[in-house]
Amino acid sequence: MKIVAPISRVAEVAPLAQAGADEFYCGVVPADWTARFRSASVNRRAFGNLATYEELGAVVATAADFERTVSLVMNAQHYTEAQVDSLVDLACRFAEMGGRALIVGDMGLLSVLAERGPAIRLHASSLLGCRNTEHSLLLKDLGAQRIIFPRDITLPEMAEVASAATELEFEAFILNDGCVFEEGSCHSIHLPSRLGGPICLDRYLSRYARADGRPLAPAEQDRLAANDQAYGEWLWYRFSCGFSVSPEGFPFGPCGLCAIPDLAAAGIRAVKIAGREGALERKVKSVELVRAALDRHAQEGNTQEYLDLVRKLRGGQASCASGYMCYYREAGVGKACAC
Amino acid sequence: MIELALSLVEPRTLKTLLEAGRPTVARCGEVLNWSARPFLAEWADRTVDRLHFGSEFCETLLPGESQLRQAVEAATAGGIRLSLVTAPASDAGLRQIATLIELLPPGSEVIANDWGVLRLLRDFRPALAPVAGRILCKMVKDPRLPSPEWAKLYPHGVHSRYFAAMLTRLGVKRIEMDVPPFAEPGDFHGLGPAISVHSPFGFSVRGRSCRPGSLNLPPERKFTVAPSCRRECLVYIDRMSRREGASERDLPTFQRGHTMFYRHSPEMSAALATAVAQGRVDRVILSGDWNEDCRSHQSSR
Repeated sequence: MKIVAPISRVAEVAPLAQAGADEFYCGVVPADWTARFRSASVNRRAFGNLATYEELGAVVATAADFERTVSLVMNAQHYTEAQVDSLVDLACRFAEMGGRALIVGDMGLLSVLAERGPAIRLHASSLLGCRNTEHSLLLKDLGAQRIIFPRDITLPEMAEVASAATELEFEAFILNDGCVFEEGSCHSIHLPSRLGGPICLDRYLSRYARADGRPLAPAEQDRLAANDQAYGEWLWYRFSCGFSVSPEGFPFGPCGLCAIPDLAAAGIRAVKIAGREGALERKVKSVELVRAALDRHAQEGNTQEYLDLVRKLRGGQASCASGYMCYYREAGVGKACAC
Repeated sequence: MIELALSLVEPRTLKTLLEAGRPTVARCGEVLNWSARPFLAEWADRTVDRLHFGSEFCETLLPGESQLRQAVEAATAGGIRLSLVTAPASDAGLRQIATLIELLPPGSEVIANDWGVLRLLRDFRPALAPVAGRILCKMVKDPRLPSPEWAKLYPHGVHSRYFAAMLTRLGVKRIEMDVPPFAEPGDFHGLGPAISVHSPFGFSVRGRSCRPGSLNLPPERKFTVAPSCRRECLVYIDRMSRREGASERDLPTFQRGHTMFYRHSPEMSAALATAVAQGRVDRVILSGDWNEDCRSHQSSR
């Protein structure tokens, strides 16, 4: 499986390639886009983007020096016609630079790129929320060659789609950054923190009522409160455990390392490290962590020894114990650890 | 002529609602115990033309075969048209949807909130009428937006001709929209397809890891993607308010299951009313039962 790593600066390419990344993805918000559309809406992230075409070209060229490829994200929630037309131009520039693929999050844009875009690979973004075979085949009809599964999917669901749509490549999330709601069904904005930030992290107070009109019993209220407390804990894990790291510098947070044997068995071609906005050190350590897990999988195969080893990579298994860090909990806490 | 639809996730009020034929809006409000009128006051005596039955948001809430059969029979007997509402789906959910659509009479509408469902309908059930649900019709709908300027930064995706071309490719002739914060009547167009609009609630975000659905699970099984709930979303409503940072323009917000909704402001309802009067919208869908309203003990029996 290939490791797909995030890039937000030219200088990140070399250390990440040396750490073991196979492919890179990045975003660009050029000045002409911002001037025309008055927002950074080329892709889903307001930050963590390259700022110029020159930087984009340098990323592609540097990656080529390491025999690595670069994909460009075009994964905003949706686009207007004028934005789609601008993105086609951007796609052509990127293809001329030697870019490998476009990561597309809008069905209309995908079909336009396939019809009149450059000769470049098209990858369906996780924002398209593909988790059934019919959807994957529609994306293939439209010109997609790879599908990036959303975060909220089970291993058996991925395996079923991948086994039915054999002409497609599939990519799955492996590390960092966990949306609470599905990206493809999120119609909110990551507001500035003074206005509340992402809606899933905004500090909402819950006030429960029963739909049948009966009052909540005290025991029921206690259970709801306990569930909310556990939810708060899960949110902390989902948001990268406060961006904490192990003594070795490996990041805590959403993780699918235990699922690598299942992902490999399902024929998943690539694993994605999220976090374009993160610091270089975090990205390097993320790549090293996934590379170490893939190497151990190559040595150990689908064994309990693999699970035991991979859970020790961060220097202990305390963070794994609850399962709240797992992208694919059926492979994580759902399986016993022998250590 | 504007068509009036009622959306229901649960079948249990169907018999009561349809026992005397097509119910009026006022009768729906009585049976379903709506806390406020769902749209225009002068529509209280209007009868419902169509039933939207099923779940837009969760495949766990898709009706069973017997439930759908009963709903089709009840709708037919009550002289009301029926649309099957479907949710984003895994392959297992898609198989269930494929079974359900076999039970629909030719020409019936299926509201799809998953592109795979639209492909399934186009390729295998062309006699049914596919509708693009509001999850597929993307607009920024954040109930916390502090000003109209924020909304203008993110123009709606449904207004793109490329989106319209996708719909044409899939045989879709109707789309569903929400009323976005700071809505204007001109927001309601889709370059071709007929437009249905939901009232009086819009949805903002939807997930798969379900907070109420984890209520009865042990800690290690909470908040996973795998469907393991007891449909707690049918039992509990979470009325939410922001602890800090809330502005007076925040829309009233609540959560059912893993979906967060907002209630329309009077200004948003007025924008919808104007759009209806201008003929931009030809169907209004009133939220029946998966909303912020609690039923009274009497009416839920």
